[in-house]
Amino acid sequence: MHIPDNYLSPAACAVMGAAMVPAWTKSVNKIKNEIPKAKIPLLGVGAAFSFLLMMFNIPLPGGTTGHAVGGTLLAILLGPSAACISVTVALLIQALLFGDGGILAFGANCFNMAFVLPFLGYFVYKFIKDRVKTEKGEYVGIALGSYAGINVAALCAGIEFGIQPLLFRDAMGHPLYCPYSLSVSIPAMTIPHLLVAGVVEAVFTVAIVAYIKKVSPGTIYEGAKQKTKAIYGLIAALICLTPLGLLATGTAWGEWGADEINKTVSGGKALGFVPKGMANGFSFGAVMPDYAVSGLPDIAGYILSAAAGAAILIILFKIISSLKKDKVGSNIE
Amino acid sequence: MNNCRDELLDMPEWLLKDEKYIPQSDRDTFVNKSILSLLKVISRIKTQDSGKTARYNVNATLNVAFTFMLLILLSISRSFIFVIIINVYLLLVLSTMEADNIVKILRVSFIMAFFTFIFMLPTVFWGNSFSCVMITSKVFTTITAVNILSHSARWSYITSAFKRFFVPDIFILVLDITIKYIVMLGGFALNMLYALKLRSVGKNRSKYASLSGITGTMFIKSKEMAEDMYNAMECRGFTGEYHVYSKSKFTAADFAYIIINVGIIFIFWYFERI
Amino acid sequence: MIEISNVYYSYSGLNALNNINLHIEKGEAVALMGPNGSGKSTLLKLINGIISPDSGVYKFNNEKITHKKLQDNKFAKLLHQKIGFVFQNSDTQLFCSDVYDEIAFGPRQMGINETDVDKRVNDCLDLLNIQDFRNRTPYHLSGGEKRKVAIACIMSLNPEILVLDEPMNGLDPRTQRWLVEFLVKLNKAGKTLITSTHNLELVQEISSRSILFDETHTIAADMPTEKLLENIDLLKKVNLVDKYYHSHEGKDHRHFHDHNF
Repeated sequence: MHIPDNYLSPAACAVMGAAMVPAWTKSVNKIKNEIPKAKIPLLGVGAAFSFLLMMFNIPLPGGTTGHAVGGTLLAILLGPSAACISVTVALLIQALLFGDGGILAFGANCFNMAFVLPFLGYFVYKFIKDRVKTEKGEYVGIALGSYAGINVAALCAGIEFGIQPLLFRDAMGHPLYCPYSLSVSIPAMTIPHLLVAGVVEAVFTVAIVAYIKKVSPGTIYEGAKQKTKAIYGLIAALICLTPLGLLATGTAWGEWGADEINKTVSGGKALGFVPKGMANGFSFGAVMPDYAVSGLPDIAGYILSAAAGAAILIILFKIISSLKKDKVGSNIE
Repeated sequence: MNNCRDELLDMPEWLLKDEKYIPQSDRDTFVNKSILSLLKVISRIKTQDSGKTARYNVNATLNVAFTFMLLILLSISRSFIFVIIINVYLLLVLSTMEADNIVKILRVSFIMAFFTFIFMLPTVFWGNSFSCVMITSKVFTTITAVNILSHSARWSYITSAFKRFFVPDIFILVLDITIKYIVMLGGFALNMLYALKLRSVGKNRSKYASLSGITGTMFIKSKEMAEDMYNAMECRGFTGEYHVYSKSKFTAADFAYIIINVGIIFIFWYFERI
Repeated sequence: MIEISNVYYSYSGLNALNNINLHIEKGEAVALMGPNGSGKSTLLKLINGIISPDSGVYKFNNEKITHKKLQDNKFAKLLHQKIGFVFQNSDTQLFCSDVYDEIAFGPRQMGINETDVDKRVNDCLDLLNIQDFRNRTPYHLSGGEKRKVAIACIMSLNPEILVLDEPMNGLDPRTQRWLVEFLVKLNKAGKTLITSTHNLELVQEISSRSILFDETHTIAADMPTEKLLENIDLLKKVNLVDKYYHSHEGKDHRHFHDHNF
């Protein structure tokens, strides 16, 4: 579910980042009030826990493995505000220090996994738990909460992807970022999560909470003492939908589908036809629009190639000599 | 060898005989894969601390700021030439680094670029090869740039560089604690996974129960660690404020770095105008 | 039973095992000693099949144990059933929600029917004298109690070899004494013991043979425990003891120890 860089336009990234600022501020304030400085180490450790959780391979039927995010799990165990900060820090470390990518998309990823996932999941859980006051009810709440949380988060990601080609095209009509529109991106994101990842997340969350309840119930977040009012759930849903409003400037829902079909047909390359460029053999000029490769004077081109060649040679040399060193070192007497 | 009483304990007979056991097959690759992921993560954090950085050490704040700037420029750019130029620049930077770092960085970049390429392939059949080529190459460049940053600067310097960007000190403290605890909690989790692996002698019908037992124990342990850490911090006079002291000196390498990056901005602007 | 020849192992560029040659016969009780970081834990991991040597050969019951073979699920599982490993940190070993399930985990995996599983679990509870903990949560027990549960859940696999990593650490004197006697009885019942320990007072009782590692990650000595403990110069040379280490000769026996000044 992690969105990599270059799939979202900088504008979208900035908007999502801006949307996260109030969420982060609110979480930090809530934490400061609810839990004093004692919990600063807890945030760090919670973030470490969140990070490691995302590394775990979870067995899936058929022998494959998958991953869980654990946002709702953290919200249930530590409270949604602490979960927000923990997942944020974990994502930051993944993106920046482990180089997994997703630095510009950090705002969007946090929105999906550090805001929507824990908060929505937690509200659904609390909503059900407060109304069905049995133990079974609580577990149903946990399962539905985590399932809903991750699916809505996936939906948000799908929307963030799918909006790109509709809003950000160049002069020739090519999408600059994610080229798949909503009709592709939404099913592509939501279906695997509805069928597989959501179930994994729900089962995993229930199992872990059940274990902790049995072993050490005192460590679980107590939460607000009064019943959640339905209004808060509504507000949460509204908060989730607002950024969509920010992005969906000016276009009505129904027109998007038609637009997309238009573009495909106008290029003259509907499905079943071989694109002109490919039929005539592969030439670079046909691949890249003129403006993308123009503007480079010959001499600059030569310098560029020389620099590239030199760098590649040095790199190869270094790698080869380090391989050789290993071989020599293994002959220890 | 002993001076104990000669009282013979009744050993159950099954213990006195060798077990004649033939294991069934069971797919539990999840344990091995998890172990591998954790090992990679922990060793990555440990090696970055060893102090072996690139020969030309650039001030961490500059490194972070300009890498970020590079990412934004790359993201906005519509010029393939610009992307190529940046790639050549990054290759030159890579050539100054240690061989094993180079391999690690390039491996990640190639893998991510490859997957991006596959992912973008359908658009080529719709007649749009621009997206495929541009995004794939941008992904390669971006991942390389970020990994160069994380391999060439010590992480404690990177996190303290955030201070220059108006990030509250407390947040930096949380970052530092997190990195440390990924190693400690990760090591704990790793041992648990080893223990599970060594006791996986047959068909585990409750894999989820085992994995959630491990994760649950990890969580409880993490809370204890946090408690311990807070007590230790309090004993050393922590009152809620954390001062990040960034020891920064400007060297010749830094000036060269600034000039190069200003040059990059010019090149970007030049190609955008066309 | 265990044959280790010319084994080298290193990780992240650091040497952990250097030219290890070792033979352990069935039924022996062997101690691994040496300063911290000398390679004892690494060797234990190797014996258990968690890691494989970079070069050299490890044979168990005359069968070569290689990385490739360990990829075969069934082979690895059989190895893990025959060699039981008690970790240094018992917390990492226990992940079930009660002690009964913890001990039953192994036998259940082996496909043993539930009645026999029940018998085994009860036998282990009796053996370790932890019947009262049957329904308790392992995580909340004290250090010594956890150690007993950890041992019980390994014993229920009925391994041929029991490998223990610093089992005396963190135990009070009475529990240490109990553990020593338990290990002796296990050995008498036919189980092979391999113990890594720093405890020079008790090592003589749980092993007849000691293998000493030194800081270069090689084996500095391999001899009967009694003889090794008398060789104070050697112990000092590998930095296992300091210059104040000595012994008092008593009437019936000698105990090695050091006075904490």
